[in-house]
Amino acid sequence: MKISVFSGIVKYFQDVYQGFRSVMNSYSAALPYVLGMGELRKEVTEQYPDPISSKTPDDLPPRSRGILFNDIERCTGCRECKQVCPSRAIEIETEIRPDTNQVWVSTFNIDMAKCVLCGLCVDACLPNSLVHTRQYIQSAYNLSELMMSFGKGPITPKQRVNWEIARRIKENDEVLI
Amino acid sequence: MNLESISTISWISLMQDQLGTSSWRIALFGLSLIYGLIILPTGAVMSYLERKLRADFHARIGPSRAGHAGIFQPLADTLKLLQKEKYSRSTWTEMLWIGFYTMAFYSIVAVMPLGSIALLVNTDMSAFLPFWAALVLAFGTMVFGLSQDSVPGWFGGVRVAAQALAGAFPAIVAILCVGLQAGGFSWSSMAAVQGASPFSWTVANPFELIAFFAFVGGGMILLGIPPLDTGLSMPDIHGGVISSLYGKRYSLFRFSRFYGFFLWSVIAVTMFLGAWILPFGLSEILRLQERFILLGSLELLWILLKTVLLMLVVSSVAQVVPRGRVDHVTDFSWKVLSPFSLLALIGYTVWIGLRTFL
Amino acid sequence: MFKPTLECLNADVTTWEIGPYYSALPGPMKLKLRLDGEIIISGQVETGFLHRGLEKAFELNSWNSSIIYADHLDSEGAVFGELAVCLAAEEIAGISPPPRAQAIRLILSELTRISCHLNYAVKIGRAVGSETFTHYVLRDREKLLDLFELLTGARFSLSFLRFGGVKADVTEGFIERVIETCDLLRVRLKEYNDLLTFNQVFLKRTSGVGQISKEQVMRWGITGPNARASGVSFDIRKTHPYSEFEKVDFHVPVSNSKGTHGGDAHDRFLIRLLEIEQSLEMLKVFADKIPSGPFLETKSGSDFKVPRGEGWIRIESSRGFLGCYLMSDGGLSPSRVQFRTPTSSNLLVIPEVVVGLKIEDLPLVLASLDLNIAEADR
Repeated sequence: MKISVFSGIVKYFQDVYQGFRSVMNSYSAALPYVLGMGELRKEVTEQYPDPISSKTPDDLPPRSRGILFNDIERCTGCRECKQVCPSRAIEIETEIRPDTNQVWVSTFNIDMAKCVLCGLCVDACLPNSLVHTRQYIQSAYNLSELMMSFGKGPITPKQRVNWEIARRIKENDEVLI
Repeated sequence: MNLESISTISWISLMQDQLGTSSWRIALFGLSLIYGLIILPTGAVMSYLERKLRADFHARIGPSRAGHAGIFQPLADTLKLLQKEKYSRSTWTEMLWIGFYTMAFYSIVAVMPLGSIALLVNTDMSAFLPFWAALVLAFGTMVFGLSQDSVPGWFGGVRVAAQALAGAFPAIVAILCVGLQAGGFSWSSMAAVQGASPFSWTVANPFELIAFFAFVGGGMILLGIPPLDTGLSMPDIHGGVISSLYGKRYSLFRFSRFYGFFLWSVIAVTMFLGAWILPFGLSEILRLQERFILLGSLELLWILLKTVLLMLVVSSVAQVVPRGRVDHVTDFSWKVLSPFSLLALIGYTVWIGLRTFL
Repeated sequence: MFKPTLECLNADVTTWEIGPYYSALPGPMKLKLRLDGEIIISGQVETGFLHRGLEKAFELNSWNSSIIYADHLDSEGAVFGELAVCLAAEEIAGISPPPRAQAIRLILSELTRISCHLNYAVKIGRAVGSETFTHYVLRDREKLLDLFELLTGARFSLSFLRFGGVKADVTEGFIERVIETCDLLRVRLKEYNDLLTFNQVFLKRTSGVGQISKEQVMRWGITGPNARASGVSFDIRKTHPYSEFEKVDFHVPVSNSKGTHGGDAHDRFLIRLLEIEQSLEMLKVFADKIPSGPFLETKSGSDFKVPRGEGWIRIESSRGFLGCYLMSDGGLSPSRVQFRTPTSSNLLVIPEVVVGLKIEDLPLVLASLDLNIAEADR
């Protein structure tokens, strides 16, 4: 279908006008940002870390999953977290305390380099000792710095001696009483 | 205004009388001064302003760390770029395009219209000389692109050549249009027909307004200024001539881009936007009082201010409009800019004819 | 190393192999192109560079960990992977989550769809060279990511769904913020349209470029917004509703342009913006009306098992048809999981759609197909 010359010229001018108008449209959509008009057009840059304008760890929502922390006094060494971890990041070793027959968690290491912060261990923790903090800064120069150790360390012979002495004192007290 | 009232006293002859050395030494010294004190600082200021403007468009803050509100950012960038090393040895093709760029830079500095006092070359063909610089820049970029060993480089080189051809035509026709009004192609005659107020600028005439758009558009295509910069933009596959540049070569390239843009804007301001004529008739007052140094500095500052404003407006168009494909860009030049510039030329001729004979 | 002078003056066909790392490609993949000047004559795709053995990892870990691994199927739309695995396991076990959990899942699903489509807009903006648009869209996607963090605790890999419901209840103020964000996004959508969608230069770049016809859609099995942009009306939320989508009243946008420009990149872009609008409508109506009640059917301990059986589930992810086949033999971990991802079939059309394109259109067309190589390679 041959387009007549006249309608071709008209279409040409229409195209040029459309192009000009759409560029002006885009321009006027973006220009208010330069002039800073209105609440919706403020700058959204947040300087970090100096000065910190927002999003300190306290500003994060309460459920934010940050670096893990284990309250070792409440930990019972049940190993539920270790079983459920998909990245095998948790290492646990326990001993039995000779005087009270309680569990002494000697090693509790979480390798944050492997941890994906999924939260399954926190869900699975029975005594609720393992929690997420809201800290998110994990940069380190060596991988070994990323290993978080919460364990109390192995029971030393001196500690066994002290506990034995304490047990005998308690027994003697009970006998006397 | 007639030509006699504007006398362009060449500063070379002034200083020659005072210093007594040969004119080429004075010219060399003057050129280096212009280059070092005018072009480089304007480049630094312009890069900072453009980054701040771009950040404003993006709802960001922009450079804000180097110095108060980031004023020393251009210095920091230059220092960083100069410290980078290049990884390959220089080949003869690299020397070739660097030679072209250097030729383009140092020669055209002489032709730039920077006020009625700082005008070195005021021949009857001054308006066409910057074309030489722009075409040499384009040729150099093409050689550089073809000398890369990657497919995007070759494409970039060929695209730059195609764009240069396409963009030169409407720009030349626009210059013809202005020459008609000015009665000549020398800078002083173009400045003579304009006044200080915007209503007496060249663009006040509707045909000249069309010619202005054709000139600026043609220049953007010829020199590769975003958003019409397909051959020279960063992303590799888009035609990236510069994809393997970094360090000193990269800073040379970026500076050449700025230089082309600056040159074109200065010429556009001279031809269309009132040149260096100071407002409130200061030009005549100072010339009568023979205070040439003050006159020269004020005119220089005034023309630089107008140039920077024009460059900011053009670069803000780049922020909102996406990049066109290379055949869209050349289509735009051949099918839209060229007919309109011819229309402007013919229309203005008819206008003059009607005014003369009626 | 090529010899520049010989090859570049050669007027014959050039071969250019891009990848696996290239800024124009959507991810690690190789693309062998044959070019005649600037026109592409043929292209061949090679993927597999991002194969992580995800499906095998399911078999080596417990049932609870399946949620976490499913998160990482598609990094931008984590909920879709989780939803697929949860629905499949619930189908085998014969449990169905309580209404409150279904509602929360629907809200999360639609929010993720909006977030993925905004990411798509960012990719298109970058391919076309419009940085302003890119920054505006990223700023608005941050609001959605903040919403995710408020509800689940993480921005991308949510790990929020569990077999039989969701992990926790909605937090205080979540619903109000959802409605606020939806209102804000509606204003922003209009701004995007003013800025880019109907800009003449953008139209010229994307109209008629990368067209996929209806017949190609049927042949290669393309689904999702790409298919709907070519006129094939197929949405799993309507044909095989899941997670109570049948109770929500929404409209699926389908392109009906019959001209020569059907199914081009502009259509695909526009369809996704329309889908964002539809999701905003859905959220606005639905967010207030979450039914009350429990959010989890049973709490799954570390010895949670899915009984023996097979399940096959289909959902509509933001890219298309995501299918999950789950086989369990009653043990502590799944015995086979297989995903049918939308990107694996969207990739198949590349050799056909790339023919006849100019080399400068290639990044745009690849971005407009919304490919995610992590999903295709698993």
